[in-house]
Amino acid sequence: MRDIKMEDYDMLVKINDERDIVVARQMVKDFAKRMGFSLADITKISTAVSELARNIFRYAGSGFIYIRENTGEEKEIEIAAVDKGPGIENVEAAVEAGFTTSKGSLGLGLSGVRRLMDSFFIESEVNRGTVVIVTKRRRTF
Amino acid sequence: MKDRVVTTIKLYNYLIVPVQIELDDSTVEAMQRQILSEIEEKAIEGVIIDVSLIDILDSYISYSLSETAIMAKMMGCDTVICGMQPHVALTLAQMGVNMRGIIFAQDLEDALSKLVKAREHS
Repeated sequence: MRDIKMEDYDMLVKINDERDIVVARQMVKDFAKRMGFSLADITKISTAVSELARNIFRYAGSGFIYIRENTGEEKEIEIAAVDKGPGIENVEAAVEAGFTTSKGSLGLGLSGVRRLMDSFFIESEVNRGTVVIVTKRRRTF
Repeated sequence: MKDRVVTTIKLYNYLIVPVQIELDDSTVEAMQRQILSEIEEKAIEGVIIDVSLIDILDSYISYSLSETAIMAKMMGCDTVICGMQPHVALTLAQMGVNMRGIIFAQDLEDALSKLVKAREHS
């Protein structure tokens, strides 16, 4: 499993409670706004974080959302959602649209996140947890 | 009623719900219960949910809204969502969210006229 270290990131949100989903998406929204993303991209990024935070809360109970700004040729935002929950047995199926293990769900969480972001990485081990890392580039027009 | 989470306005047989709070999972569930019980208590024929202040709608919240509309339909009531911000619509469409059972409108005025039309056809 990929090792995520706090010191490599700019911001951390602990997901422990249902209300932390709202906290996480608001904090990411402010972070993306400060980085100069367009309103459409800010909405996509915050919505993706809302899905990731909900997955942590629903399936693992608790976990962390890490956020950082990557500078290079193009600025990008990187978000890592990490938990030590039950893990995902079939990762390929879990990222397909319509896959869900819970009722009251469209199964569009992970597939939606993948569609909203530019890059999507997932690693999961049963009984050890799940790491999802996504990025989005800031487009300059 | 003790479980009220959103303000509602009754206009004729319609219930207008301007959502002015941040929707988390339990709030959206409480809102669903509130709307359904108000439909019954006040003999509502149409619900208008104004989402113009909402800047993040994720898959679960849109699922709950759609579920509310289907439940309302079973109680003989149509549901219109109005005022969705363009970047929210863009995000939901890109995620592949399909909100079944809901009529969409641009603003309150459009919502009211669509409700009247829906009642005429049913």
